[in-house]
Amino acid sequence: MSATILSAQSRTYTGMVTDADNGEPLIGVNVTLVGPETGDFTGIDGGFTITANPGDSIAITYIGYKNKGMRLTDDTDLKIVLELDSRQIDEVVVIGYGTIKKSDLTGSVSSVKSADITKVPTTNPINALQGKVAGLQILNTSGEPGSNPVVRLRGVTTLNNNSPIAVIDGVITDIGAIALLNANDIESMEVLKDASASAIYGSRGASGVVVVTTKRGIAGAPRINLSVERSVESIANTIDVMTGREFATYINAVNPGTYNNLDVLPDTDWQSLIFQDNAAITNANASVSGGSDRARYYFGLGYFGQEGILPKSGIDRLTAKLNTSFDISNSITVGLDMAALYTDKENAPGVIQTALRAWPIDKPFQEDGVTYAEVNGGNPVAAIEFSNSFSKRLSSLGNLYVDVEFLKNFRFRSSLQFDLGYSRNRNFSPEFFVSPLQQNEVNSLSYNTGHASTLIYENTLTYNIQKGDHSVSALVGYTAQDSRNEFINGFTEGLIREDPLFWYLNAGQDDLDRVSNSFGRSTLVSYLGRVNYSYAGKYLFTASMRRDGSSKFGVNNRFGNFPSFAVGWNMYNEPFFPQSGILNRVKLRASWGIIGNERIPGDAQYALISSGTSAVFGEGETIQPGATFNGGGNPNLRWEETTQSNIGIDLGFFEDRLTAELDYYIKQTDDILVPLEPIGYTGIGAFRSIFFNAASVENKGFEWNINYRNRAGDFTYEIGIVGSTVSNTVTNIGQDIGADSLLIGGDLGNGQRVARTAVGLPIGYFYGFEVEGVFQTDAEVESSPSLFGQRAGDLRYRDINGDGDITSADRTIIGSSIPDLIYGFNVAIGYKIVNLSLDFQGQRGSEIYNGKQAIRFATLNFEDKFNDYWTGEGSTNEDPRASLGGINYQPSSYFVEDGSFFRLRTATISISAPDGFANRIGMESANLYVRGTNLFTSTNFTGYSPEIGAASAIDGAIDRGVYPITRILTLGLTTTF
Amino acid sequence: MNTTRLYKIGSAALICVMMSSVGCSDDFLTQPPRASLTVGSFPSTEQDAVLATNAIYNITRTWQIATGGFPLLDMMADDAVKGSNPTDGIAISVYDKFEHTASEGSTERWYKTLYEAVRRTNLVINEVPSIEMDAALQDRLIGEARYLRAYFYADLVRGFGAVPMVTVTEPSLDLGRTEVDVILNEIIYPDLEFAISILPERSEYPAEELGRATRGAALSLLARVKLYYGEYEDVRDLTDQVISSGEYDLVDDYAEVFISTNEHNEESIFEISALPDNFANGGNQYGNTQGVRGTPNKGWGFCRPAYVWIDEMQDNVDPRLDPTVLFLNEVIDGITIRGDGSTPDTTRENGAIVEIECYNQKVWFPGTDSRESFGHNRRIIRYADVLLMHAEALNELGQSAAALPYVNQIRERARGGDSNTLPDITTTDQADLRAAIAEERYYELALEGLRYWDLVRTDRAEEVLGPLGFIRGKHELFPIPQSEIDISEGRIDQNPGY
Repeated sequence: MSATILSAQSRTYTGMVTDADNGEPLIGVNVTLVGPETGDFTGIDGGFTITANPGDSIAITYIGYKNKGMRLTDDTDLKIVLELDSRQIDEVVVIGYGTIKKSDLTGSVSSVKSADITKVPTTNPINALQGKVAGLQILNTSGEPGSNPVVRLRGVTTLNNNSPIAVIDGVITDIGAIALLNANDIESMEVLKDASASAIYGSRGASGVVVVTTKRGIAGAPRINLSVERSVESIANTIDVMTGREFATYINAVNPGTYNNLDVLPDTDWQSLIFQDNAAITNANASVSGGSDRARYYFGLGYFGQEGILPKSGIDRLTAKLNTSFDISNSITVGLDMAALYTDKENAPGVIQTALRAWPIDKPFQEDGVTYAEVNGGNPVAAIEFSNSFSKRLSSLGNLYVDVEFLKNFRFRSSLQFDLGYSRNRNFSPEFFVSPLQQNEVNSLSYNTGHASTLIYENTLTYNIQKGDHSVSALVGYTAQDSRNEFINGFTEGLIREDPLFWYLNAGQDDLDRVSNSFGRSTLVSYLGRVNYSYAGKYLFTASMRRDGSSKFGVNNRFGNFPSFAVGWNMYNEPFFPQSGILNRVKLRASWGIIGNERIPGDAQYALISSGTSAVFGEGETIQPGATFNGGGNPNLRWEETTQSNIGIDLGFFEDRLTAELDYYIKQTDDILVPLEPIGYTGIGAFRSIFFNAASVENKGFEWNINYRNRAGDFTYEIGIVGSTVSNTVTNIGQDIGADSLLIGGDLGNGQRVARTAVGLPIGYFYGFEVEGVFQTDAEVESSPSLFGQRAGDLRYRDINGDGDITSADRTIIGSSIPDLIYGFNVAIGYKIVNLSLDFQGQRGSEIYNGKQAIRFATLNFEDKFNDYWTGEGSTNEDPRASLGGINYQPSSYFVEDGSFFRLRTATISISAPDGFANRIGMESANLYVRGTNLFTSTNFTGYSPEIGAASAIDGAIDRGVYPITRILTLGLTTTF
Repeated sequence: MNTTRLYKIGSAALICVMMSSVGCSDDFLTQPPRASLTVGSFPSTEQDAVLATNAIYNITRTWQIATGGFPLLDMMADDAVKGSNPTDGIAISVYDKFEHTASEGSTERWYKTLYEAVRRTNLVINEVPSIEMDAALQDRLIGEARYLRAYFYADLVRGFGAVPMVTVTEPSLDLGRTEVDVILNEIIYPDLEFAISILPERSEYPAEELGRATRGAALSLLARVKLYYGEYEDVRDLTDQVISSGEYDLVDDYAEVFISTNEHNEESIFEISALPDNFANGGNQYGNTQGVRGTPNKGWGFCRPAYVWIDEMQDNVDPRLDPTVLFLNEVIDGITIRGDGSTPDTTRENGAIVEIECYNQKVWFPGTDSRESFGHNRRIIRYADVLLMHAEALNELGQSAAALPYVNQIRERARGGDSNTLPDITTTDQADLRAAIAEERYYELALEGLRYWDLVRTDRAEEVLGPLGFIRGKHELFPIPQSEIDISEGRIDQNPGY
């Protein structure tokens, strides 16, 4: 067609297009002659051919790269270098059931790419999102190998499970399943935050969605990646507890004369006896990927091994990832994506609490140095010695699919997704004697296996069409999900030998065998639909609808409908938008939608009747079986619904060197599903709860994600700031539980409940007496409002209602564990082959209830703070007199601590091999790095870590003792061949 | 690929979708729980009726049912102290010192477990009548359930005063407190009167059913409740029926009353059977909670016999001291009691002994293993108590002389043939005899959870327990658990003084 305009002077130009950063050839670049619009695409080697005249202009365009124009000269051999477009406006973002160009996105979505995902050594790649995604809070509540963090997006919406869901290569699953993956196998993680983005996941998107996309092969020669890391970790900080002398002094202050010679008392530092320094972590990964024109593959294998800072807490983990796809014909593709994981973990006994509480004046061993000694509060060293607890887990997550393209614009996809798990726990307790309260008279073995499976059958039909300025993408689909789990637990005693060869149920005594078996199943069906429309890249519109039915609700409440709408305006594409200027990009977004939540146990609606409540009768005393209520149920349960509105603006300055994404959201969650202890006379029993649709909660806040990047010669730098504010308010308490303004939580297990949920206040705020100081004299007690039985040296509580007396009516709000501000910022500086990056994160305005100080059933060692006890008039107005328990241990602000912190999460220095060097030894690239994790934390909190998560939001964050987080030093090498 | 093939594949796929979505929903979305029945389908058979009734007895064996796990009533009274070693059970010592607040775990466990027990009784009382089954068995099971409901409610009103009155398994969530009188007249008395009218005597039960509620138990329990509320004529008549039934007698030797080889003896009117194993296998932790701490390792050692009580028993040369208290270095069933290294053998204040390490022998179960201590059968009502109640009622009704033989039966058995001690009581002065009977109860029924209520009901608690911290007008009742008040938003209010 271009022949008509070819002139006599036309020549054939050939050239090659490469990437400015790495010099790699770019495939599929559009090279067009300006005017007649003829052109070519670059081939696999980046080459192209075009016929033109000298003086003509060509345009070189490629998604994700800056457009380039050039005027042809006589030189027919063209070398064209394209620079990545830092604006990334055409970056493709993964959303539910599809992808979308970022510029067409109407929802609020944050994306984190692979390079950032591998920075932190961890068994769970979700940790990579920490401090990277505005509005996302990731709390590493424990440094125990293999532990999973608490993940929250945009505050606490529900009162039960607040974790976002995960969608791994299209498979909807639990956020914990991300731990199945090896960070090295992940291409990107997208966090869907607003209703527009997540409503397509309807029933389960209420707390947000984390979409994980794993790496896939591309056609071409095999690419091999190898990486190996070696780290050492040590406890980041210990908790200051009393020394032997301090402890004895304190006890003497309570019971004078208990210890007469403080100089002869031992001083045992139990923490140093149980924690090991420089515990090793090994992380090794290999992957190979590639493909032909009809098949693509990615295969990854990883090993992660961590000793743990506590003996017997180590984990070994193997992961495998296989992604394959085959084009059966030009229109049909089949594929299998599969991840498999095997872990072998030893579970340390719960000795950390013991080490904090064991008396420092006791010693681990008797005089002979080998026999364990009786220790008040328990001998943690002996507890470790006699612990033999192992967990093995085998999991697999996958997606088998077929894609059919037909009638030009249609695509049908049918997939069978599976999430399978097998776990086995073995726990052997030998016969031993340390002390009367720390002994096991008969050896015993418990052995549990569990099988869990979720199968999802999913069918979607998409229709994409672009006509002129109109672009439409539509999706309809149907899914059915079936989840089952089954456990078999066995227990026996009196094993014939204690050797590991005998740690099987058959080695025990038959008459002491016990076995139990439980099974659960829940099902879900969903119908979904979505339309995306954009006009001229300027006006964007999205609408979606999902209808879900869940077996977790009774017949009348089974189905829920979850619609969403969103609009966007790419203002910078308007003619009136100034083309030059500081501000180069403006996009406005707004969305509204309803999302559901059904994450409650499958049988929560049923009041169960169980057997196993036997009685003993008869002269011969024999057991006769019984059956009765096993807790309670709520047949009226219905969907929890979150209505979310979001407005956002995306800005680019200085040609997108400075970008900002700002969002404001309001999330209103109604009919929150929460397990509550109903009023006692209902008779479901002590410490048992029932699920209710109990309350409404509003979360609102700002989120910002600001990045600045620039380059000056060989020097590059980048600064990113993310942050979010959360304001959490309970707007209503349902009538279902017989209460209309108050829910009680935060059970310390000693009759004290330190958290409440009430209208107008944040969920799970701490509730108790507010400490004003310490009574200095008995006369002061007499003349002031006081609790019954108080005396000089006791905490002076505020008389809230001013009635001149301290009663339970004087309890008040004494803190909230919901932070006002969550933030993170990162700095990356590069000079030639050297790069330094620092990731900081923190939160402000959260409080933690120090439960481990407040719960005292027996006399145990005290934390350092108690050394400052009141000793007489004028000694202190902060801390009460020495006491072993009782009146000063009432729930009060004395036990509430500031949970704010600021942490240097990672600091990494990396050196990449100079091009020439890498090539000479046959590598494409190589990178050597040193990284420090948790190097520095600034906090006033006195526990191991201020990153305490609440088990249930109505409980608030209570520190009952956790596995400490660790400081890690890593040396690593990554190479690509 | 040609278009025809495309359509084939397309239609096949669409058919798949249709098939999978049509007709699925209701069946697929109905997933009842497995391995458990649900409320409404149980009890529906004769066998179910028995299972549901047995499950009530099951809760009498739980740890929490005994004042939340720790024998608070004895610790608060003057026959026992907290026990264990001084550093353990700080949270329990508040009761010993009368410093307990409304937010103590024990009170809450006790209260909630009593209502859990009530719910189990209501299941049987409300559902078993409509089951088609053997009529005699049906009546008996309902009678047992009503006996047990009265037993639990008697604990509730005595311990907490006015409490929510629940007679269904799914009570309304807006209940407030119901006056004690109403609960007595609408639940406890009618339940026990029904049980008296319907339950077999102990001798009428087959041997394999020993331990179930009997007519004698219902009579005795009603007498105990009536005594607490001062209705002496009823007490006299009820106890008279027990005595004249001929079903019970005192065990000859006081030392044989509590031993493990003499369970369900002729003196035992209501007793909770247990096996020397964990709870699931029939055990009861009541004995373990109070068992010898240290060597042998029989338990935690809570609820230690009070030194004042031991001292008084020694002064009286009362032979019941030895079967009640396990002293250090005592040898019992061939086992030497060494005790606990971290518990002082003797605790003094200002030079005077206030506590010695010793343990409650009434819960002793032979063996050196802590597991065996779960085998103790808790004696709830003894014939000795019935005799003393009868004597007290007669004396209060002005029939002091008639009361004497009943007290003296207890004295005679106690002295075990040793004429040098515990002479018969001869006074017929009402006040003197009243004091003598009260003392006799103190000696005879020590550590059986009765002393505290005896002091409260006779208005002597302030006099006897005041020095330990008892406050009149407050400690006659336990506090309603704070959570109950908070959850009800104050609709259920607190007892005075808390």
